[in-house]
Amino acid sequence: MAIRSRPISPKFLFLKAMVLFMFWVLLSASFEWIHLSLGLVFSFAVAWGNAGHSSFVPKFRLWSRILLYFPWLFYKIVQSSLHLSKLILHPALPIAPQLISVESKLNHHAAIVLLGNSITLTPGTVTAEVDRNKLIVHALDQPLSEGIKNKQIESKIAEIFKDQEPDL
Amino acid sequence: MKIFLLYILVLLAILLGVYLYRVLQGPTIFDRVLGLNGISTKAIILLIVMGIYFERVDMFVDISTGYALLNLVGALAVAKYLERKGVP
Amino acid sequence: MEILSIIFIVAGLFFLIVAAIGVIRLPDVFSRSHAVSLTDSLGAFLMLVGIALHGGLGTNMLKILVVLALLYIINPVITHATVRAALRSGLKPWKKETS
Repeated sequence: MAIRSRPISPKFLFLKAMVLFMFWVLLSASFEWIHLSLGLVFSFAVAWGNAGHSSFVPKFRLWSRILLYFPWLFYKIVQSSLHLSKLILHPALPIAPQLISVESKLNHHAAIVLLGNSITLTPGTVTAEVDRNKLIVHALDQPLSEGIKNKQIESKIAEIFKDQEPDL
Repeated sequence: MKIFLLYILVLLAILLGVYLYRVLQGPTIFDRVLGLNGISTKAIILLIVMGIYFERVDMFVDISTGYALLNLVGALAVAKYLERKGVP
Repeated sequence: MEILSIIFIVAGLFFLIVAAIGVIRLPDVFSRSHAVSLTDSLGAFLMLVGIALHGGLGTNMLKILVVLALLYIINPVITHATVRAALRSGLKPWKKETS
């Protein structure tokens, strides 16, 4: 799979450097001018060194929608965590592990990355293999694998990426 | 509150022992890698609770950040190596 | 505030203990990875939010939340890498014996 990197604009370079610089200030927590200027130099150097924009990272204007997607994902995590702890604490251990193969209709690299990470982050389901838009998912029992098959997560992600040109 | 934090530290240490059992016992090598991953997550939480207990959170949080990043690199390297080598 | 943080920490400890029981009880690598991811997602979240509430507002709270975000980014990657290595090296998932 060839990874073509998009060229990066000066504005985006500046933004990337500022994010790195905020991380530097948070870690060093000192406001002497020598530390601040060293941080500025190094954050611009790192941002310039990584100037190609990987196609696995969503575009910058999508991030507000992705941030709105996280609370819903957290609700799903809580739901399936409670289900999973009930399964583990049950004396008979009523599990039925299975490998299921899912083909998604998403056609962006970044959307597939987001989908795989969401599935793995939800307890009870793990993405075991990714090949273009075919995913192999290991689920712990029947209701959890039903949750993957009815594509709730995928339709949410498709809504985020609805007005982007496909690049897969 | 101080004594509560001490109990949490002891409980976390016992949980580390449970994961250590999995690391020593695990039938396949992947069980051992998984156990080490669980140990590292627990160690990050343990470090931060320890920071609250000794009232030096600013120092211990930095250590736990470094631990998390090193754990990422190490676990990815081990997984990649095992994938290439096949099951031992 | 103190009581709220104690509630969060105790709930987090519950999930950590459940995950440890799961790591002992479950039969193979693939199902154990679910138990480990249970710890990583909800257990660590509740514990660290409780601790951050205990510390109160300030730089330390922000740093603890940065560690939490880092955990949420890193852990799926490690779990996926381990499970994929297990699958590619030819390990078969455990199945319940039908008797």
